[in-house]
Amino acid sequence: MDSAWAAFDTETQNMLQTAINDPKTVDLDKLSNAIVTQSLKDLSFCKDAGRICYAVVQAEAQKAATSEFRRKLLNRLQQEFIAREETRNRSVQEWVCVVTFICSIFDYIKVNNAPVVALVDPIYDCLFKLAQPDSLMNEEEVDCLVLQLHRVGEQLEQTNSQRMNQLFYLLRDGFLLQEDLSSMTRLLLLEILEFRASGWTLTETAHKYYYSEVAD
Amino acid sequence: MSEHRRYKCENDYKPDENRNKGASRWSHCRKRGADGVLRKSNAEEEPARDQRCSQSSRRPESFTTPESDGPVSRVKNWGDEVEAEEMRSNVRRDMHRYRRRILAADFPQRERKISSGSSDSRDSRDSKESPAKGDMETDETTLVRRQKQINYGKNTLAYDRYIKEVPKHMRQQGVHPKTPNKFKKYSRRSWDQQIKLWRVKLHAWDPPAEEGGDLQQIEEIDFDEIMDFEFDVECSADTESQCPTTNAPSLSLTEDSFTGTPKKMMKIEDAEMS
Repeated sequence: MDSAWAAFDTETQNMLQTAINDPKTVDLDKLSNAIVTQSLKDLSFCKDAGRICYAVVQAEAQKAATSEFRRKLLNRLQQEFIAREETRNRSVQEWVCVVTFICSIFDYIKVNNAPVVALVDPIYDCLFKLAQPDSLMNEEEVDCLVLQLHRVGEQLEQTNSQRMNQLFYLLRDGFLLQEDLSSMTRLLLLEILEFRASGWTLTETAHKYYYSEVAD
Repeated sequence: MSEHRRYKCENDYKPDENRNKGASRWSHCRKRGADGVLRKSNAEEEPARDQRCSQSSRRPESFTTPESDGPVSRVKNWGDEVEAEEMRSNVRRDMHRYRRRILAADFPQRERKISSGSSDSRDSRDSKESPAKGDMETDETTLVRRQKQINYGKNTLAYDRYIKEVPKHMRQQGVHPKTPNKFKKYSRRSWDQQIKLWRVKLHAWDPPAEEGGDLQQIEEIDFDEIMDFEFDVECSADTESQCPTTNAPSLSLTEDSFTGTPKKMMKIEDAEMS
């Protein structure tokens, strides 16, 4: 069993288990809502949520030859996406969860091994928002931004390189011109700039620079 | 700076917009505002124009009804979009497989029976006109439409029972229904007719009749599952009458017509032609 399931209450865990074994008997609408609701509360869960959803989608496809869960999940996600401005104003943490979750879904759920094209522009929209000057002031948001780029940046670029280029204009601008950024933020931005420039990976020396323990 | 693409739903949330005078995306088509006053030229009136979702900007401006907020229903939800992506992707994959199979058939090698996929591999040998690439249907829209029609048929209990009962190698031409080959070139009418005949033949494998509950199925029709309206279905209960009644055989809506055809997904029933 996935350790991430521990985040759920018992009822949801049972629903989840049943969904994997016998998707037709479960209220998939309820299940998808439960998963989304949990993700919006819990950032560490978000990253695993994609994996859980993937398991259910697979189970449904193989055992029932339907894709109801995927459909419900995506539509619910779309609602969250549409309401993102309000969410961000209400709670930056929740906003960050929304973005993380959508990217996690994008990472795990594929259509015949290809990324879900319908999610590409929405994700870019979110990343553009995170790259705005006011968002760069929040370390939470910067953290989210670079994390998502690490996870799905390459796939996003393959599907739409023009928007990735535009995003990186913003990141360079932010790094160079925005004076009141914390040094942590500058570090994260510099790292992601290098990461992409090396083809979505870090050279060994760069990796040492950013990730090694500093010996005093 | 970066473009910020906005979704149509967001454009609806403009509480301060004065509908009588203010700019809307259709303002410039109208000579007068809703309050009757002649509009000035539209130079100042389209602040939101660039931010319009690309979906609406594709359509010519004069096309829309001025009063409404716009065709909100046109924005697909992600669920639908992904289903459409998946369908297109499946069709493309089928196309590659089919091409390979055809090319293999052109060479005098012993051909292995490939069970999955859209067409019987005997097609090319029997007909002696193995469709060269030029003769193959490749238009994605057409293929997707045909695949949907095939899916409706394959999604029935009758089909399930059929394939369990008669393995492919036991199938006899003419006796056993054969799924139409979506990659062959056919006219629309011809294809629709083939589908119709195929589905009628499949009824022979309908599960045994259930008592009483069959008329219910008419009320339970899920209109989302209805096939293209040009499809020549002898629909009877459908008073919206999407089908031309001229060439449909006269249909008596007796209980018998719907006997024994419970389906996995509720949809319009093909009447049995006896």
